[in-house]
Amino acid sequence: MRQDPLRHVPSGEVSLRDFWSGACEIAPLAIGVAIYGLAFGFLAAQARFDLLQVGIMGGFVFAGGSQIVAAQRLVADAGAIAAVVAGLALNARLLLVTASIREIYAGRPWWQIALGAHLTTDENWALLLAGRATGRDLGYWYLVGGGMCLMLVWCLATMAGAGFAHAIPDPKALGLDFAFTAAFIAIARSLWTGKNDLLPWLTTALVAAAAIRLGGVQPSWALILGGVAGAGIAGMAHHD
Amino acid sequence: MTEAWLVILFLTIGTFGIRLTGVVIGQQVLKAGAWARAMRALPGCMIVSLVAVSVLSGGPREWAAGLIATAVAVATRNLPITMVSGIAAVWLLRHLG
Repeated sequence: MRQDPLRHVPSGEVSLRDFWSGACEIAPLAIGVAIYGLAFGFLAAQARFDLLQVGIMGGFVFAGGSQIVAAQRLVADAGAIAAVVAGLALNARLLLVTASIREIYAGRPWWQIALGAHLTTDENWALLLAGRATGRDLGYWYLVGGGMCLMLVWCLATMAGAGFAHAIPDPKALGLDFAFTAAFIAIARSLWTGKNDLLPWLTTALVAAAAIRLGGVQPSWALILGGVAGAGIAGMAHHD
Repeated sequence: MTEAWLVILFLTIGTFGIRLTGVVIGQQVLKAGAWARAMRALPGCMIVSLVAVSVLSGGPREWAAGLIATAVAVATRNLPITMVSGIAAVWLLRHLG
Protein backbone atom coordinates (compact mmCIF):
# COMPACT_ATOMS: atom_id res chain seq x y z
CA MET A 1 0.00 0.00 0.00
CA ARG A 2 1.24 3.49 -0.85
CA GLN A 3 1.80 5.82 2.08
CA ASP A 4 1.50 9.57 1.81
CA PRO A 5 3.61 11.27 4.50
CA LEU A 6 1.61 14.51 4.21
CA ARG A 7 -1.60 12.80 5.30
CA HIS A 8 -2.58 10.87 8.37
CA VAL A 9 -2.87 7.67 6.41
CA PRO A 10 -2.89 4.86 8.96
CA SER A 11 -0.13 2.26 8.96
CA GLY A 12 -0.80 -1.13 7.42
CA GLU A 13 -1.47 -2.66 10.81
CA VAL A 14 -4.06 -0.06 11.78
CA SER A 15 -5.64 -0.35 8.32
CA LEU A 16 -6.06 -4.09 8.76
CA ARG A 17 -7.48 -3.69 12.24
CA ASP A 18 -9.99 -1.11 11.00
CA PHE A 19 -10.87 -3.31 8.05
CA TRP A 20 -11.73 -6.25 10.34
CA SER A 21 -13.62 -4.02 12.79
CA GLY A 22 -15.72 -2.73 9.93
CA ALA A 23 -16.31 -6.23 8.55
CA CYS A 24 -17.32 -7.64 11.97
CA GLU A 25 -19.40 -4.74 13.24
CA ILE A 26 -21.54 -4.65 10.08
CA ALA A 27 -22.80 -8.20 10.87
CA PRO A 28 -26.20 -7.26 12.36
CA LEU A 29 -26.92 -5.05 9.36
CA ALA A 30 -25.65 -7.79 7.04
CA ILE A 31 -28.41 -10.11 8.29
CA GLY A 32 -31.00 -7.61 7.11
CA VAL A 33 -29.15 -7.29 3.81
CA ALA A 34 -29.20 -11.09 3.43
CA ILE A 35 -33.00 -11.22 3.79
CA TYR A 36 -33.34 -8.38 1.33
CA GLY A 37 -30.91 -10.21 -0.98
CA LEU A 38 -32.95 -13.42 -0.95
CA ALA A 39 -35.99 -11.35 -1.89
CA PHE A 40 -34.12 -9.64 -4.74
CA GLY A 41 -32.85 -12.96 -6.05
CA PHE A 42 -36.38 -14.24 -6.19
CA LEU A 43 -37.50 -11.18 -8.17
CA ALA A 44 -34.47 -11.33 -10.46
CA ALA A 45 -35.39 -14.89 -11.38
CA GLN A 46 -38.87 -13.65 -12.32
CA ALA A 47 -37.15 -11.06 -14.54
CA ARG A 48 -35.37 -14.05 -16.14
CA PHE A 49 -31.88 -13.23 -14.84
CA ASP A 50 -29.65 -16.29 -14.56
CA LEU A 51 -27.38 -16.99 -11.57
CA LEU A 52 -24.32 -15.49 -13.25
CA GLN A 53 -26.19 -12.27 -14.04
CA VAL A 54 -27.51 -12.03 -10.47
CA GLY A 55 -23.99 -12.48 -9.06
CA ILE A 56 -22.39 -10.01 -11.45
CA MET A 57 -25.13 -7.44 -10.90
CA GLY A 58 -24.71 -7.73 -7.12
CA GLY A 59 -20.98 -7.16 -7.29
CA PHE A 60 -20.93 -4.46 -9.96
CA VAL A 61 -24.08 -2.43 -9.26
CA PHE A 62 -24.03 -3.18 -5.50
CA ALA A 63 -27.05 -1.03 -4.67
CA GLY A 64 -29.94 -3.20 -3.52
CA GLY A 65 -32.83 -0.78 -3.88
CA SER A 66 -31.96 0.12 -7.45
CA GLN A 67 -31.46 -3.53 -8.40
CA ILE A 68 -34.91 -4.37 -7.03
CA VAL A 69 -36.56 -1.44 -8.76
CA ALA A 70 -34.86 -2.28 -12.07
CA ALA A 71 -35.82 -5.98 -11.85
CA GLN A 72 -39.36 -5.03 -10.88
CA ARG A 73 -39.61 -2.79 -13.96
CA LEU A 74 -38.36 -5.64 -16.16
CA VAL A 75 -40.93 -8.03 -14.66
CA ALA A 76 -43.58 -5.41 -15.51
CA ASP A 77 -42.29 -5.40 -19.13
CA ALA A 78 -41.35 -1.72 -18.94
CA GLY A 79 -38.14 -2.24 -20.93
CA ALA A 80 -34.43 -1.83 -20.23
CA ILE A 81 -34.33 2.00 -20.44
CA ALA A 82 -37.17 2.46 -17.95
CA ALA A 83 -35.52 -0.08 -15.64
CA VAL A 84 -32.18 1.75 -15.70
CA VAL A 85 -33.75 5.20 -15.25
CA ALA A 86 -35.86 4.04 -12.29
CA GLY A 87 -32.85 2.35 -10.68
CA LEU A 88 -30.58 5.36 -11.10
CA ALA A 89 -33.22 7.75 -9.75
CA LEU A 90 -33.28 5.66 -6.60
CA ASN A 91 -29.46 5.76 -6.43
CA ALA A 92 -29.23 9.55 -6.75
CA ARG A 93 -29.05 9.77 -2.95
CA LEU A 94 -25.68 7.96 -3.02
CA LEU A 95 -24.21 11.21 -4.34
CA LEU A 96 -25.00 12.85 -1.01
CA VAL A 97 -23.82 9.80 0.91
CA THR A 98 -20.31 9.76 -0.59
CA ALA A 99 -20.19 13.56 -0.60
CA SER A 100 -20.85 13.64 3.14
CA ILE A 101 -17.71 11.59 3.90
CA ARG A 102 -15.55 13.11 1.18
CA GLU A 103 -12.55 13.61 3.49
CA ILE A 104 -11.97 9.88 4.07
CA TYR A 105 -11.17 9.39 0.36
CA ALA A 106 -8.95 12.50 0.17
CA GLY A 107 -5.25 12.03 -0.65
CA ARG A 108 -5.60 8.35 -1.55
CA PRO A 109 -4.46 6.65 -4.75
CA TRP A 110 -7.10 6.53 -7.48
CA TRP A 111 -7.81 2.82 -7.06
CA GLN A 112 -8.57 3.29 -3.36
CA ILE A 113 -10.90 6.18 -4.14
CA ALA A 114 -12.68 4.06 -6.76
CA LEU A 115 -12.87 1.04 -4.44
CA GLY A 116 -14.08 3.06 -1.47
CA ALA A 117 -16.69 4.92 -3.51
CA HIS A 118 -18.00 1.67 -5.00
CA LEU A 119 -18.21 -0.03 -1.59
CA THR A 120 -20.09 2.85 0.05
CA THR A 121 -23.67 1.88 0.92
CA ASP A 122 -26.29 3.22 3.29
CA GLU A 123 -25.40 0.55 5.84
CA ASN A 124 -21.62 0.89 6.21
CA TRP A 125 -21.84 4.66 5.80
CA ALA A 126 -24.36 4.85 8.66
CA LEU A 127 -22.20 2.51 10.76
CA LEU A 128 -19.13 4.70 10.11
CA LEU A 129 -21.00 7.85 11.16
CA ALA A 130 -22.44 6.11 14.23
CA GLY A 131 -18.97 4.88 15.27
CA ARG A 132 -17.46 8.32 14.79
CA ALA A 133 -20.28 9.88 16.81
CA THR A 134 -19.04 7.89 19.81
CA GLY A 135 -15.59 9.41 19.42
CA ARG A 136 -13.80 6.53 17.65
CA ASP A 137 -11.19 7.41 15.04
CA LEU A 138 -12.67 5.47 12.14
CA GLY A 139 -12.06 6.06 8.47
CA TYR A 140 -11.53 4.61 5.04
CA TRP A 141 -10.62 1.00 5.90
CA TYR A 142 -13.47 0.68 8.38
CA LEU A 143 -15.86 1.66 5.57
CA VAL A 144 -14.17 -0.70 3.09
CA GLY A 145 -14.21 -3.62 5.56
CA GLY A 146 -17.94 -3.19 6.12
CA GLY A 147 -18.51 -2.78 2.38
CA MET A 148 -16.59 -5.96 1.50
CA CYS A 149 -18.56 -7.97 4.05
CA LEU A 150 -21.84 -6.57 2.72
CA MET A 151 -20.87 -7.33 -0.87
CA LEU A 152 -20.06 -10.95 -0.04
CA VAL A 153 -23.35 -11.39 1.83
CA TRP A 154 -25.31 -9.55 -0.87
CA CYS A 155 -23.93 -11.63 -3.76
CA LEU A 156 -24.40 -14.95 -1.94
CA ALA A 157 -27.91 -14.09 -0.72
CA THR A 158 -29.15 -12.80 -4.08
CA MET A 159 -27.79 -15.86 -5.88
CA ALA A 160 -29.35 -18.15 -3.27
CA GLY A 161 -32.67 -16.34 -3.73
CA ALA A 162 -32.49 -16.71 -7.50
CA GLY A 163 -31.57 -20.38 -7.22
CA PHE A 164 -34.38 -21.08 -4.76
CA ALA A 165 -36.90 -19.22 -6.92
CA HIS A 166 -36.84 -21.93 -9.59
CA ALA A 167 -38.21 -24.41 -7.07
CA ILE A 168 -41.38 -22.34 -6.64
CA PRO A 169 -44.02 -23.27 -9.26
CA ASP A 170 -46.18 -20.16 -9.82
CA PRO A 171 -45.40 -17.05 -7.75
CA LYS A 172 -48.70 -15.34 -8.59
CA ALA A 173 -50.82 -18.27 -7.43
CA LEU A 174 -49.11 -18.05 -4.04
CA GLY A 175 -49.45 -14.27 -3.83
CA LEU A 176 -45.67 -13.94 -4.07
CA ASP A 177 -45.90 -11.31 -6.81
CA PHE A 178 -47.00 -9.00 -3.98
CA ALA A 179 -43.81 -9.67 -1.97
CA PHE A 180 -42.05 -6.55 -3.21
CA THR A 181 -44.96 -4.21 -2.89
CA ALA A 182 -45.13 -5.33 0.74
CA ALA A 183 -41.35 -5.00 1.11
CA PHE A 184 -41.41 -1.44 -0.22
CA ILE A 185 -44.23 -0.58 2.16
CA ALA A 186 -42.04 -1.78 5.05
CA ILE A 187 -39.02 0.13 3.67
CA ALA A 188 -41.11 3.30 3.33
CA ARG A 189 -42.11 2.89 6.96
CA SER A 190 -38.44 2.70 8.00
CA LEU A 191 -37.58 5.78 5.89
CA TRP A 192 -40.31 7.86 7.54
CA THR A 193 -38.59 10.49 9.68
CA GLY A 194 -41.57 12.55 10.82
CA LYS A 195 -44.28 14.95 9.72
CA ASN A 196 -41.90 16.80 7.39
CA ASP A 197 -42.22 13.77 5.11
CA LEU A 198 -46.00 14.01 4.97
CA LEU A 199 -46.37 16.65 2.25
CA PRO A 200 -43.65 15.25 -0.08
CA TRP A 201 -44.97 11.70 0.30
CA LEU A 202 -48.59 12.76 -0.23
CA THR A 203 -47.54 14.72 -3.32
CA THR A 204 -45.65 11.68 -4.59
CA ALA A 205 -48.59 9.33 -4.12
CA LEU A 206 -51.10 11.76 -5.67
CA VAL A 207 -48.92 12.59 -8.69
CA ALA A 208 -48.15 8.89 -9.28
CA ALA A 209 -51.83 7.99 -8.87
CA ALA A 210 -53.02 10.77 -11.18
CA ALA A 211 -50.39 9.90 -13.80
CA ILE A 212 -51.26 6.22 -13.86
CA ARG A 213 -55.05 6.31 -13.37
CA LEU A 214 -56.01 9.59 -15.10
CA GLY A 215 -53.10 10.49 -17.37
CA GLY A 216 -52.55 7.00 -18.77
CA VAL A 217 -48.79 7.42 -18.22
CA GLN A 218 -46.61 4.27 -18.34
CA PRO A 219 -46.13 2.98 -14.77
CA SER A 220 -42.33 3.31 -14.96
CA TRP A 221 -42.57 7.00 -15.88
CA ALA A 222 -45.39 7.61 -13.41
CA LEU A 223 -42.97 6.24 -10.82
CA ILE A 224 -40.26 8.78 -11.73
CA LEU A 225 -42.80 11.60 -12.01
CA GLY A 226 -44.16 10.89 -8.54
CA GLY A 227 -40.72 10.59 -6.93
CA VAL A 228 -39.36 13.78 -8.50
CA ALA A 229 -42.52 15.74 -7.66
CA GLY A 230 -42.30 14.69 -4.00
CA ALA A 231 -38.58 15.48 -3.78
CA GLY A 232 -39.23 18.84 -5.44
CA ILE A 233 -41.84 19.70 -2.83
CA ALA A 234 -39.38 18.69 -0.08
CA GLY A 235 -36.73 20.93 -1.68
CA MET A 236 -39.07 23.91 -1.71
CA ALA A 237 -40.01 23.45 1.94
CA HIS A 238 -38.48 25.86 4.42
CA HIS A 239 -37.27 23.34 6.98
CA ASP A 240 -34.09 21.23 6.97
CA MET B 1 -30.92 -12.53 -22.16
CA THR B 2 -29.54 -9.31 -23.69
CA GLU B 3 -31.95 -6.97 -21.87
CA ALA B 4 -30.64 -8.13 -18.48
CA TRP B 5 -27.00 -7.55 -19.51
CA LEU B 6 -27.85 -4.06 -20.81
CA VAL B 7 -29.56 -3.17 -17.54
CA ILE B 8 -26.59 -4.52 -15.54
CA LEU B 9 -24.08 -2.59 -17.69
CA PHE B 10 -25.83 0.79 -17.55
CA LEU B 11 -26.83 0.49 -13.88
CA THR B 12 -23.19 -0.32 -13.08
CA ILE B 13 -21.83 2.68 -15.00
CA GLY B 14 -24.53 5.04 -13.69
CA THR B 15 -24.34 3.94 -10.06
CA PHE B 16 -20.55 4.09 -9.95
CA GLY B 17 -20.72 7.50 -11.61
CA ILE B 18 -23.12 8.76 -8.95
CA ARG B 19 -20.93 7.47 -6.10
CA LEU B 20 -17.76 8.93 -7.61
CA THR B 21 -19.42 12.26 -8.39
CA GLY B 22 -20.33 12.57 -4.72
CA VAL B 23 -16.69 12.09 -3.74
CA VAL B 24 -15.51 14.65 -6.31
CA ILE B 25 -18.10 17.35 -5.75
CA GLY B 26 -17.84 17.05 -2.02
CA GLN B 27 -20.22 18.06 0.66
CA GLN B 28 -19.81 21.82 0.54
CA VAL B 29 -21.83 22.16 -2.65
CA LEU B 30 -24.76 20.13 -1.41
CA LYS B 31 -24.55 20.61 2.34
CA ALA B 32 -27.70 22.70 2.59
CA GLY B 33 -30.38 24.35 0.56
CA ALA B 34 -33.20 23.23 -1.66
CA TRP B 35 -31.12 20.72 -3.66
CA ALA B 36 -29.89 18.95 -0.53
CA ARG B 37 -33.41 18.78 0.89
CA ALA B 38 -34.76 17.40 -2.37
CA MET B 39 -31.94 14.83 -2.61
CA ARG B 40 -32.53 13.72 0.96
CA ALA B 41 -36.24 13.32 0.33
CA LEU B 42 -35.81 11.52 -3.00
CA PRO B 43 -35.27 7.92 -1.72
CA GLY B 44 -38.40 8.01 0.45
CA CYS B 45 -40.43 9.58 -2.35
CA MET B 46 -39.17 7.01 -4.87
CA ILE B 47 -40.25 4.19 -2.57
CA VAL B 48 -43.66 5.76 -1.95
CA SER B 49 -44.05 6.28 -5.68
CA LEU B 50 -43.20 2.66 -6.37
CA VAL B 51 -45.73 1.48 -3.80
CA ALA B 52 -48.42 3.77 -5.26
CA VAL B 53 -47.74 2.61 -8.82
CA SER B 54 -47.55 -1.11 -7.88
CA VAL B 55 -50.72 -1.07 -5.79
CA LEU B 56 -52.72 1.06 -8.25
CA SER B 57 -51.69 -1.14 -11.20
CA GLY B 58 -53.68 -3.93 -9.56
CA GLY B 59 -57.37 -4.07 -8.68
CA PRO B 60 -59.41 -3.70 -5.46
CA ARG B 61 -57.83 -6.87 -4.01
CA GLU B 62 -54.33 -5.43 -4.35
CA TRP B 63 -55.50 -2.09 -2.92
CA ALA B 64 -56.91 -3.86 0.13
CA ALA B 65 -53.75 -5.95 0.56
CA GLY B 66 -51.71 -2.74 0.28
CA LEU B 67 -53.73 -1.16 3.09
CA ILE B 68 -53.30 -4.26 5.26
CA ALA B 69 -49.54 -4.35 4.64
CA THR B 70 -49.32 -0.62 5.44
CA ALA B 71 -51.13 -1.16 8.74
CA VAL B 72 -48.77 -4.02 9.61
CA ALA B 73 -45.71 -1.96 8.63
CA VAL B 74 -46.83 0.98 10.77
CA ALA B 75 -47.51 -1.31 13.72
CA THR B 76 -44.46 -3.60 13.52
CA ARG B 77 -41.77 -1.68 11.54
CA ASN B 78 -40.64 -5.14 10.48
CA LEU B 79 -39.73 -6.10 6.91
CA PRO B 80 -40.26 -9.91 6.96
CA ILE B 81 -43.52 -9.66 8.93
CA THR B 82 -44.85 -7.00 6.55
CA MET B 83 -43.90 -9.12 3.53
CA VAL B 84 -45.58 -12.24 4.94
CA SER B 85 -48.71 -10.25 5.85
CA GLY B 86 -48.96 -8.66 2.41
CA ILE B 87 -48.48 -11.97 0.61
CA ALA B 88 -51.01 -13.73 2.88
CA ALA B 89 -53.51 -10.89 2.46
CA VAL B 90 -53.35 -10.84 -1.34
CA TRP B 91 -53.48 -14.66 -1.48
CA LEU B 92 -56.56 -14.77 0.78
CA LEU B 93 -58.34 -11.95 -1.06
CA ARG B 94 -57.75 -13.58 -4.44
CA HIS B 95 -58.96 -16.98 -3.24
CA LEU B 96 -62.02 -15.60 -1.46
CA GLY B 97 -63.39 -13.82 -4.40
